[in-house]
Amino acid sequence: MPQLKIAAVLALAILLQLSLRAVWYPLAYIDLPLIVVVYIALQRHAWHALIVGTIAGLAIDAASRALIGAGGFSKTLTAYLIYFVATRVNLENPLMRIPVLATATLLDSAIYVFWHRALGNSPNVPFVQTMSYRLIGTTIAGTLVMFLLDSVFTERARTRRSFASRRKGARRGAR
Amino acid sequence: MAATRTQREIRQRAPVWLVLLLLINLGVMAFDARDSSGKQRMFRVWVQAIASPAQNVFAKVSGAGSGVIGQIVNFRQTAAENEVLKQKLATTEAALSNARLAASENERLKGLLSLKEQTGYDQVPARVIARDPSIWFNTVTIDRGSSSGIELNMPVVTSGGIVGRVIALSPWSAQVMMVTDEKAAAGAIVGQLGGSGALGSVRGSGESGLIEMRYVSGLQKVDIGDYILTTGQDSIYPPGLRVGEVVYVKHGTATQSHEILIRPGAKLDQLEEVAVLLYHPPQRTAPEQTLPNVDKSNKQ
Repeated sequence: MPQLKIAAVLALAILLQLSLRAVWYPLAYIDLPLIVVVYIALQRHAWHALIVGTIAGLAIDAASRALIGAGGFSKTLTAYLIYFVATRVNLENPLMRIPVLATATLLDSAIYVFWHRALGNSPNVPFVQTMSYRLIGTTIAGTLVMFLLDSVFTERARTRRSFASRRKGARRGAR
Repeated sequence: MAATRTQREIRQRAPVWLVLLLLINLGVMAFDARDSSGKQRMFRVWVQAIASPAQNVFAKVSGAGSGVIGQIVNFRQTAAENEVLKQKLATTEAALSNARLAASENERLKGLLSLKEQTGYDQVPARVIARDPSIWFNTVTIDRGSSSGIELNMPVVTSGGIVGRVIALSPWSAQVMMVTDEKAAAGAIVGQLGGSGALGSVRGSGESGLIEMRYVSGLQKVDIGDYILTTGQDSIYPPGLRVGEVVYVKHGTATQSHEILIRPGAKLDQLEEVAVLLYHPPQRTAPEQTLPNVDKSNKQ
């Protein structure tokens, strides 16, 4: 049941996000729910990606001083844009995940802070510096976490890989 | 074929779902931003009630984990020497470290206890179990909530000074907005209450971790090192609590107020134990809204 796996992974990511900052402050720069959202969007499941983006964003917003909905908005939009690109461009290569994660982090931060500023609830940390640290943390950790997620969703990954090899074989045969 | 059609349908409907979800988020956000009455959302209560047990566990595990890591480090440092010395040293250092931790905790708790004597208000001691999950804000979560008698907007303090106020509650946890937050504010005075006319209001200055004090008349004498106390005029903090000390003053003139920056008295970066003051500000009667020439007997 992929839905159950997704729900479990999302719940774990949210709980870790809520708790890790108290363990060691720099861990807060890693946005675990965003990594899960990006991973699911890269699997090209539009509905799952959008719902996971909304739930992850709303849950983090509710536990934070943030406006409820700002994180939901940014993560939902980010999820859709990644899904949109993933259905048109081949992003299956693990190396491609690095620029995708980096772009997703930048986009998520920019939308999130934009809505807070627009609605008179500006964050009290420097934008560029925080976004840069977040970009570094989330991209590095996300690349590693996605390998872990691959092992959780192995069946699907294996199926995808087998289809990819069949497609390659078919192309060679056609030549 | 059916599966292909479903995928195509999903692809076609995805923008509709996107717009729908974005509108829901936007609506919730606008509703949340609009309300400034200080009430909290039930959604926040539920999320915090669910999250606080996990956060509690993580806080305890991380405390134990850091102790274990410290012992391993000690062990490696002394491994170059002989085995007996290493064991003795590790034991002594662990004991010493525990004693220091206990002494500092004892000191902090004593400070909190003395607060009750100083302020005269009942208080609930609490432990910080989490920080804001979003890196953009700087609230803390404590392990006491409405079941301990805590209410919204109650002041949170340490022996060093005020920390902030409660902005969200669940039965077992509460979220505290720091006094350094740009949205936090309090009435304050430079020096002793009644002994100074340098009244103003303090609010977070955002990035630097300092607090800004505004509206202090340029005619009042303010120097670096002066301490700042609450006045109690904000209906949140009781009068006479320490806010911090002045670290920067740009002196004003007769028509221009001073620009003052304050370092908070509470060590906000290293908060472990805090106390929530069960303080209920005195009720204020609403000002008379009717015009003086209106016959009030006709209204009844």
